Order: sequence, then structure tokens, then C-alpha cells
Amino acid sequence: MKLLVAVKQVAALDEDFEIRADGKDVDAEFLLRDLNEWDDYSLEEAMKIKEAGAAPVEVVVVCVGAAEADESLRKCLAKGADRAIRVWDEAIEGSDSIAVARVLAAVARREKPDMLFAGVQSSDHAFASTGIATAAFLDWPHAAVLTHLEYTPGGKSAVFRRELEGGVLHEMQIECPAVLTIQLGINTPRYASLRSIKQAAAKPIEVLSLEDLDLAPGDVGERGSLSRVRRMYVPDKGRAEMIEGSVEEQAARLAHLIKELAGSAS
Amino acid sequence: MSGILVIAEHRRGEVRPVTLELVGAAQSARRVPEERVAVAVLGAEPERSVPSVSVAGVDEVLTVKLAAGEFDPDAYEAAVRALIEARKPSLVLLPHSIDSFGYAAAVAAKGNHGFATDVFRFGYEQGALVATRGGYGQKVNIEVDFPAREVVILALRAGVFKPPQARASPSVTSFAAPPARARVVSRSFIEVSAADDVDMTTAEFILAIGRGIGEQANVERFRELAEAVGAVLGCSRPIADAGWLPKSRQIGQSGKTASACKLYVAMGISGAIQHLAGMKHVSTIVAVNADAGASIFTVAKYGIVGDIFEIADALHSHFAS
Amino acid sequence: MTRDPTAVTRVLFEDFAPAAIAAFYVIAFAAVTVFCFGVYVEVRKYRRGSAADVDGRLLARLQAMIGTVLSHRTIARRDRAAGAAHRLIFYGFVLLFLGTATITLDYDILGPLFGVHFWQGRFYLWFSLVLDVAGVLLTGGLLYMMYRRGWLKPPKLDYARPDRQPGDPDYDRSGYRREDWAFLWTLLVIVATGYLLEAARLVWLEARPEVWAYRWWSPAGAALALGLRAAGMSAASGGVLRTGLWWFHGLLALLFIALIPFTKVKHILTAAGSLVLRDPLAAQRLPRVPQDQQRAGAQYITDFSWKQLLSLDACTKCGRCHEACPATAVGAPLSPRDVILSLREFANRTLESATLPEQAELDVHGKGPGQVAMETLWSCRTCMACVEVCPVAIEHVPVIVQMRRKLVEEGQMDPQLKKTLQTIHKTGNSFGEGKRKRAAWTKALPFAVKDARKEPVDVLWFVGDYASFDPRNQKVTQGLAWLLQEAGVDFGILYEGESNAGNDVRRVGEEGLYEVLATSNIESLSAASFKTIVTTDPHSYNTIRNEYPDFGGRYQIEHYTTLVLRLLQEGRLRIARPLGLRVTFHDPCHLGRFNKGYEAPREILRLLGCELIEMGRCRANSFCCGAGGGRIWMPDPVGMDRPAHNRMREAAAIPDLQVYVVSCPKDLTMFEDALKATGNEGRFVVRELIELVREALGDRQAAAAPGVAA
Repeated sequence: MKLLVAVKQVAALDEDFEIRADGKDVDAEFLLRDLNEWDDYSLEEAMKIKEAGAAPVEVVVVCVGAAEADESLRKCLAKGADRAIRVWDEAIEGSDSIAVARVLAAVARREKPDMLFAGVQSSDHAFASTGIATAAFLDWPHAAVLTHLEYTPGGKSAVFRRELEGGVLHEMQIECPAVLTIQLGINTPRYASLRSIKQAAAKPIEVLSLEDLDLAPGDVGERGSLSRVRRMYVPDKGRAEMIEGSVEEQAARLAHLIKELAGSAS
Repeated sequence: MSGILVIAEHRRGEVRPVTLELVGAAQSARRVPEERVAVAVLGAEPERSVPSVSVAGVDEVLTVKLAAGEFDPDAYEAAVRALIEARKPSLVLLPHSIDSFGYAAAVAAKGNHGFATDVFRFGYEQGALVATRGGYGQKVNIEVDFPAREVVILALRAGVFKPPQARASPSVTSFAAPPARARVVSRSFIEVSAADDVDMTTAEFILAIGRGIGEQANVERFRELAEAVGAVLGCSRPIADAGWLPKSRQIGQSGKTASACKLYVAMGISGAIQHLAGMKHVSTIVAVNADAGASIFTVAKYGIVGDIFEIADALHSHFAS
Repeated sequence: MTRDPTAVTRVLFEDFAPAAIAAFYVIAFAAVTVFCFGVYVEVRKYRRGSAADVDGRLLARLQAMIGTVLSHRTIARRDRAAGAAHRLIFYGFVLLFLGTATITLDYDILGPLFGVHFWQGRFYLWFSLVLDVAGVLLTGGLLYMMYRRGWLKPPKLDYARPDRQPGDPDYDRSGYRREDWAFLWTLLVIVATGYLLEAARLVWLEARPEVWAYRWWSPAGAALALGLRAAGMSAASGGVLRTGLWWFHGLLALLFIALIPFTKVKHILTAAGSLVLRDPLAAQRLPRVPQDQQRAGAQYITDFSWKQLLSLDACTKCGRCHEACPATAVGAPLSPRDVILSLREFANRTLESATLPEQAELDVHGKGPGQVAMETLWSCRTCMACVEVCPVAIEHVPVIVQMRRKLVEEGQMDPQLKKTLQTIHKTGNSFGEGKRKRAAWTKALPFAVKDARKEPVDVLWFVGDYASFDPRNQKVTQGLAWLLQEAGVDFGILYEGESNAGNDVRRVGEEGLYEVLATSNIESLSAASFKTIVTTDPHSYNTIRNEYPDFGGRYQIEHYTTLVLRLLQEGRLRIARPLGLRVTFHDPCHLGRFNKGYEAPREILRLLGCELIEMGRCRANSFCCGAGGGRIWMPDPVGMDRPAHNRMREAAAIPDLQVYVVSCPKDLTMFEDALKATGNEGRFVVRELIELVREALGDRQAAAAPGVAA
């Protein structure tokens, strides 16, 4: 039994960031990298299935990223993943989520897992597409935004609930193997102590190239993407009128606004 | 000029309002006035949705009969692919919604069409489509284009584009969708029970709290404040996820929309896009946050950068307890 | 010298049949054998623990232990009555024991082997007197202890435990109480029968001048003898009484000795052992996880070192740690005493049998008998009040931290704590702010602060998380910068090169993250050029001073109070006007109790012209604000009292108090909140010492917070 979990190392912006010279991305010096928050949940869901089952389940994490992504993969190994795979090639630079999905699908064809989990979206660019596009390339059944999952490893189907707008849950049944994208809050992700992260350094990270996956440079990068970045810029921000002054002055103004607009008795 | 195709979204018998926003967006996408805008309605009884989408700007309604009444990713995917194949629209508009999360990328990937999601602005520059979306947690804007793509699929952000107001009488045609094996089957809908029968969607004055309140013990303080100022207490997702307030009090994309709200005071809420989705339409938003760079200030009318506890205490003193 | 038949002495075994004497010796050997076996079982128990990290200075340690024991310094501290009474018991017992040993030496060793006898004549008479007095001392001490337990009933001797509910199997402590009383009564009966025996012998031998004439050299016995005779006892009955009492007293004493290793009495040996092994930096410098160790932290009872297992046996349930603990004081499910007693009970149950049980049965975590629960361990503030006050050098804090390490490995902690640790790992600070914002507080200053990464400085200022990011504390930080600039100190900071020093991360039990932080900071410090480090944060001070050397970072570091004091004394900072305020000073745990930094802040207050009224719990006995041990990153249970509130009430009892002075960023945060929460806002204010110094220097921008209530 094997579960494949696709993870991403996302980037957050540091203070006073600057846009790169080519105008298409932020200067790497100002990017703070970490494991995507959604992936904590999808990995945890895989670990729960692994630990609940009697039969052995192998949890493999895969990430499309450059060498710095190893840090995030180590965290996954520290949390109990059995193996980690990283795919990188210079040609992958500039890929959108669809191109990345093509790579993930190739890994899935190689690994032949029983299920593939991904996060609903990544916290940096939030395409919310990678998981489902991967399913398309594999032609596997797929479902998105899961907040509840009942699945026995090797089962022919799984029952899940997806969270709709307004909080309503939609319960559905899906044929397996399938690709599922996992939403925040489905479980409580475990803590990976620094010690376990350090010890996970002993577990190997398999690094694959495009060749290993029978992919051509044209399958990825800009040519393999369905959109192309023209430019990135900082939008004009905030129209809020800031209320200045001491705490008393600010609170007084706010109280005035409330009384005026909400008509509540004083 | 092959036309613009809008895919309508419905749920449990109702066409969702975002569909009309897509129609509104389609208007500004016409490159020439004659370019046709078609709205496709998918479902077991698509004819029933026709009146809801018969608005100004819609030239044609396509009814696509499917086996399943509720969302079925495989059926939707097959139907939309067939529609694109048959009609060859240059632009396909979908909402950036939970349903779309389930199939839009598959349509784009399999058809090799141009594709971008969570788009809040788009237009044509020298004949080429350019779409704008957010990046790095909505801190930057990213412009994308789709070189050499004949068909481009855009998933548009809800609550941005203006729906048309006027009614119209578009022609209605049925479209035969190819059968698709149902690999995902709908079972039931589960309402999240309201622990306290408060309805955020009808509240006119909401005081909402977010992660900035720190600990669960502090919820009480703001509950008292809300009561004193006459507001309904609401919250952002982290508060509801942690169980500090019932889910019925959550405002946001996966919570409630503050539809009737006129005054929204957000305390300790940073303004994640999902939360904004539920309240940014409110006419007067006052945000209180210790972080001057919090996104909430971009949608607020008034802002206070400060300690929410100090402001709360000082504010409380202006109202009889 | 040989036996002098004319010299006065006591004839041992007088009138005993040889068989009786033989029986006595057999019983005596049996008692000693049982004693030795008991000791063997205990030593075997300790050896089942892991290796201990004890440095080799055995002689110095022995000397220190002997000094401590003879002076009774640690028992008399903060409880003079107990100290006095225990001194009586101790010296009385020691003298009586030495007395018996002396007789044995003369009668059983030197006599038979070398024909030497010294226990006679003048020596014998003084011996008798001293021992009689010893018995009186012992009796006095015992009687006071009985009165203390039975009538005074001080709260610290209430064994009710906060970490169990009624109905739990190990909730009931009546077994301990019975043992305590049995101990007191047994000793009392031994002494009493000893005197009675003495008296009976005198009555029996009243006709013998060499006995009767010297009777007043045993004053207590003689007095009793008079009483017996007055009651009409004849010499013959005296003899019978004497024989009976001789056996009773002797057998009881031998039984007592045999049972030493099996009862509370063993503290005679274990307390001394624990004191010899004392590590004066036990809580200030926590032990590293050994490289080869499989598990992080203590999960099984055998994960504790033999030193720790020995010290568990040293506990006499005196209750001083229970009384000093801030968590216990607010009703949290933690008492340091009960952590030690639980582990001891667990060790006794599992490690005293011939074979070691299965490892699974050795797990000390949980809610079963002798186990320690998660809530108990997480309640600790690592303030070391327990370690500091323990008379027998038990080191509770490392025990708790080692058990926390296991909880952290398994992620068993409050979700907010979990998040904070992840935040610290990601951003190097507990606020989740970008590294570049660390020095944002410097922007408000009218001068530039040197970057110690780029240029050499005299003084490297290690600012700390709270002082860098917390708005209220930023004002204090800016205040110190202003003072240092005024005094012409050449100082700089590390800007983004500084991360959280790691003191509290370590005390939470995240040793891996601590290593990352320490290594990173040491790297930054090593690359910079400076003479000394100064810090406003006592927590950073403690870990850099005491723990960084273990990771390769050895620096000269002081807390700002000693630096500022020096600047004032050298006239580099001139006081424009004395403040004349009525203040009290809260000793921060990590500066005061941890590192003995009591005097500098007080001297500064004196120079500032303030009238210092000490709180009852001050200096080494200062009461923790409650933020330590990572508790500031965990929410407090709703409805429970908090240590900071408890402390505020203590301060509020000082009449006409104007300022509550602190010198730690966490204290400032905790106590300003507590001031409001306890309803004392308006009565007095909370100020950081730096703010007072600035005010005294006449700086108008001092204290941006509302003016001091003058």
C-alpha cells in the first residue's frame, strides 16, 4: 500500500521586499521559504491512514523544487513519511501549476501509489489547480477541498466531505485510486521536533531529473505552462482613513462612528 | 471572434449569484460588440435555471442535460470540454469556486487551453488577453498572458465583477453532452448546525475578532464589548477552527457572508482573502490591528493601528455595560 | 592503656549469661546485615539509572556537604524554628551514635585485639554527661517536631497533592503521615527507655559506691532514679527492670538501625549523598542530550541518572518546594514535591526487585500511580524556587525539563506552544515578525545604533525578542539606548544576526531547536568583535552566561543593571534630581535567584533617591511572574488565579506604594496586565528600572507611558 503526497515549498515575502530586475518575480533574497500550510494537513491525513491500518502503508512525499526544498522534505520525513522524492531541472524554472502537475503525474506513474494527496492550494500563489491537473494527466478520479475522509488503504472507494461556500458540507463517494486535495482543518497536524528533523537527515531524498521521468524540457517551464508571467508589481494599497491619536482619542472616534452608523443607545 | 462562454454554477436547485458576475465580466470582454456571450447551464434539469440567467448581455443560453443533479466533476469536465470543442470560444469564464476547484484545471490540462485562476481583472492588449491575479498571499499583483492559446479559461474571483441588473430574453438551445462514467457520486448535504441561533447574514452591525485576540480566555472580553456596543459577535476562520466560537459565527468564504451588514468592526483580523470574501462589500469597515501592514486595511474605510485590547477597553467605556 | 580496675566505668553485659550475650551479638549482626542488605537494594536501584554527569572534585564536594550539614544552613533558611529543632535532633542523634560507636570501639575492637581500654575514668564520666545532655537535646527536638506536626500544622506539611483527585489510588497520603509519626515516636521511645534504663541500673546498683557516687554524671538518669526510688522501687526490682529495659531498648534500637534503608530514616544517608552531588548550576545550566542517546528526554524511570534516583530518596517531604512554587500557589496541578515523591514511589515499586520489569512498565508518563501527568509537567515555570530552597539539594527543574523533552518529541503540548515553536524556528523570534524588523525599534532614536556585525564595538548589546518586538518594551529598549549614548558607551547590536537566545525554548524541552538557536547566535557573536555583552533580558543573560559555553560560546556577559550602576557610580550618568519615590523591587527569576544579581538594581534605586520597601518574598525567594518555562506561550486556564496576580496582591499590601519596579521585559508585560486585572490601576504603577533612571537623569522623553504617580 502506498500513499503519494505532493508537497510544495512556498515562499512568503520578507519586509521591504524588492521586485527582481526582470520584473517577473520578487528578489529571492526577500523570500522566506517554508512547507505549504495545506501540505501539513495532507501529510497528516496520509500519516493517520498509515498508522490506523494493520497492513503496512508506505507514505512517499514528492516535491517539484530546487535544492532548498530539501528542508521542507526533511520536515515531512521527520513527521513520519517513509521516503522523499524531489524533482528538479533547470528547465522546470518558470513552470505554472499545470506544468508542475505534468511532472507530478510522471512521478505517480513511476511510483504507482494507491492514492495521491495534495493541498487545496499553496499559500503563496493559490492556483488551486495543481492537484486536479495531476489527476487529469493520470486520468484518475479526483475531488477537491476535502474536510473529511474515510478510506481504508487499498479500498476500491472512499467517502469524503468537501466544504462548500457558506460552510455546508457535501458528502460524496469516489472510486479509488484517486487524487484528493485536502483542506485546512481536516485534522490536527503533528509537531515535528527539531531533533526528529535532524534525525530525518539520515533518510534519503531521491532526486529525479526530467529524463528519469521520460519528460522533455518542452513539457515543463514556460512552454509546458498554460499561462505566462508578464510582470509582477506592487499594487497601490489601502484606502483606509487612519484614525490617529492616543488610545482614548481613537476609541472616542470609533465610538462616535458606531453611534452614528449603528444607532445604538449610549 | 469565436465568442465568450460562461459556465453557470448552481447548487441544490439555485443558480449561484457569482454566475451573473461572470456575465457582467463577459460584457467587458467583448472585443467587438457583436461577439456573442453564451451561458451554459449544466445539470439534471438545466431548463429550470434558464430564467435565472436570462439577463442583459447574454446572447444565448445552452442547456446541458447531465445524469447527475448535483456537481459531478467528470460529467462537468466532459461537458465543458465538449462545449469548447464544439463552440470554440476564445474565452471561457468560470467562477473561482469550490466546484471549479474540482474540475477546471482538468479541463484546461486535458485541452491544453490557456488557464489562470482567481483572476480579478482582465482585458485585451494588442489583441492578446492579459489577466491579473494576486501573488505571495495577495501582497503583489501578477499579470499573465497566454501566448498562442486559442482558447483561454479564466476562473474569476467572486465579488469583483458587477452583475447586470436588467433582464433579457436570450435564445435557449440544448447541447448534448457526451456521457461520462460517474466516478464520483453525490450522497448528501450536511448543514453546519448553528449552536446559537445567530444569523450572521442578517446582522447589520458586526464586531468580528481574529487571531489577534491571542487566547481563548479573551473571547469573553470581546463578547461583552459586542454586547455593550450593540453588535453581533463574529469571527474569522482560525477562531472557529480552534473551537473558540461556533462555526455559525465565522465570516468568510467557507463561513457566512455579512450580506446585510452596514458597519463591520474587525479587531485583530489580518484580512486573509478568504475572510475578505465574506465582508469586503460592507459599506463601512473599521479595522483595528497592531500590524500597520495588515491586508484588512486595504478594504477598510477607517483604520486604527494599535493594541486591540486597549482600544476595546477604551471603547467599552463609551457604552453603558 | 589497659583496663584499670580502679577506674570508674560501666560493666557491660553485667550479670548476663554467656548465651544471652551471644544472642545479643547474633541479633546485632543480623540487624547490621539487614541494614546492609537494605543499602544494597537501594544502591542497586540507583545503579539501574543512567550515567550521571558529575565532575571529579570529590574532596571539595565532601567539604561543602559537611559544612552544610554541620551548620544546618539549608534547613534553618526561612524556617528558623525547624532549623533549631532539627539541629537538636541531629546533634543529639550524632552524639548518641558516636557514643555507641565509642563503646563498640573500646569493648569489641581495641580491647580484645590490643588490650587497650580508654572508656574509663574521667573520660567515661564526661562521656556519660555529654551523652545524657545529647539525649535531652534529642528529646527536645523530637518534642518540638511533634508539637509542630500535631498542633502547629504548618501548611507546608499538608500533604494534600494538587496533581491527583480524591479516589485516585495514590491520592491518599496517610501512609506517609503514619511513617512520620512512627519515626518520631520510635526515637522518642528509644531515648526515653535509654534514660529509664540508666535510672533502673542506678537503682539496681545503688549499693555500689563506684556507681552511685558518680550518678550525677548522668543527670537525667539520676533524677529518674530518685523518682523510681521515691516510688518505692527496690534494688532487686531495679535489676529486673534494668534487664527488661536493656533488651527492649537494645532490640528497638537495633530494629531502628536495620530499618534505616527501608524508611524515611534513610535520609540520613541519602541527603548527605544528594548534597555531595549538588550542582549549584542545576537549573541554570541544563544538561545536554547525550549524542548517542536514542530517546530525547526521560520516558522511563531508568532514563534518570543514578544521581537523580539517589536524590529522589533524599526527600523528607519538608514541603519547602511546595510552598515556594508559583504554580502550586495558583492551584495548578503541579507541586514539585509531588513530582519527586511520585517518581520515588515509582522507582521503589519498579526498581527494588531482583529483576528489572519490562520496559513498558517503566514509563513514568501518565496518570497511573507514581506517574507524572502532562498537565503537571506543563504547569512548571522553571523559576527554580524549588531547587533553590530544597535543603537536601534535589534538582526538580532538570527532572521536569527532561520529561518535557519527551512530550515535545511526541508533540504533546498546547497548540499555541506548538505554533510558537514553529514560528521561532521559521523566523528566529516568538512574534513571527520578519528578521529585518528586529531592529525596527532603533528607527525612533535620534542617533544611529552601530551594527556590531560590521564594525567592532566595546559592548555588544544582545537585545532579546520581547525587548525588540513588544511595543511596550521597545520604549524601555530605546531608553537604554539613550542612556548608553548619554554615557558615551561604545555599543552596537547584531540587527538581523540576533535570534531568540533560546533560554525558554530549552526549558520547554525543545532541545533541537535550542541547539539551532544557540549555534546561530554563537556564529553571529563569533563573527563580531567586542569586549563584553550586555543584555536587558535576564533569560538571554542566563543562557548566554551559563549554557552557551557548552555549545562553544564563552563570553563575558552582564545584565544591564550592573553596567548602569557602574555608569552611575563613575559619574558617566549624572542624576539631575533624586526621585524620592516609594518603591518595591521584583527580583526577576533569571537575574536574581538564577544568577545572584540582587544588589545592583537595589543600589541603583538607592542612588536614584528612592525608598525601597522589600516585599516579603524577595531576593532568592522572589515570586515568579508566571511567564517562565514557556508559559508565556501557553494560555492560562480560564478562571484560575495567576502568579502575577498573586504577586500584585503582595505588592498592593505595601502602604503608599508608588512604583513596582521590574528589570525584565516579561515581568513588565505580565505585571502591567496584572496591575489592571487585580484592580490596582491608579494606586501604583509598574515601571522598568531603566525608565526610572531616565527620569532621574531629567530626560523629558522618559516613560512615554502615563507619568509616574508622584
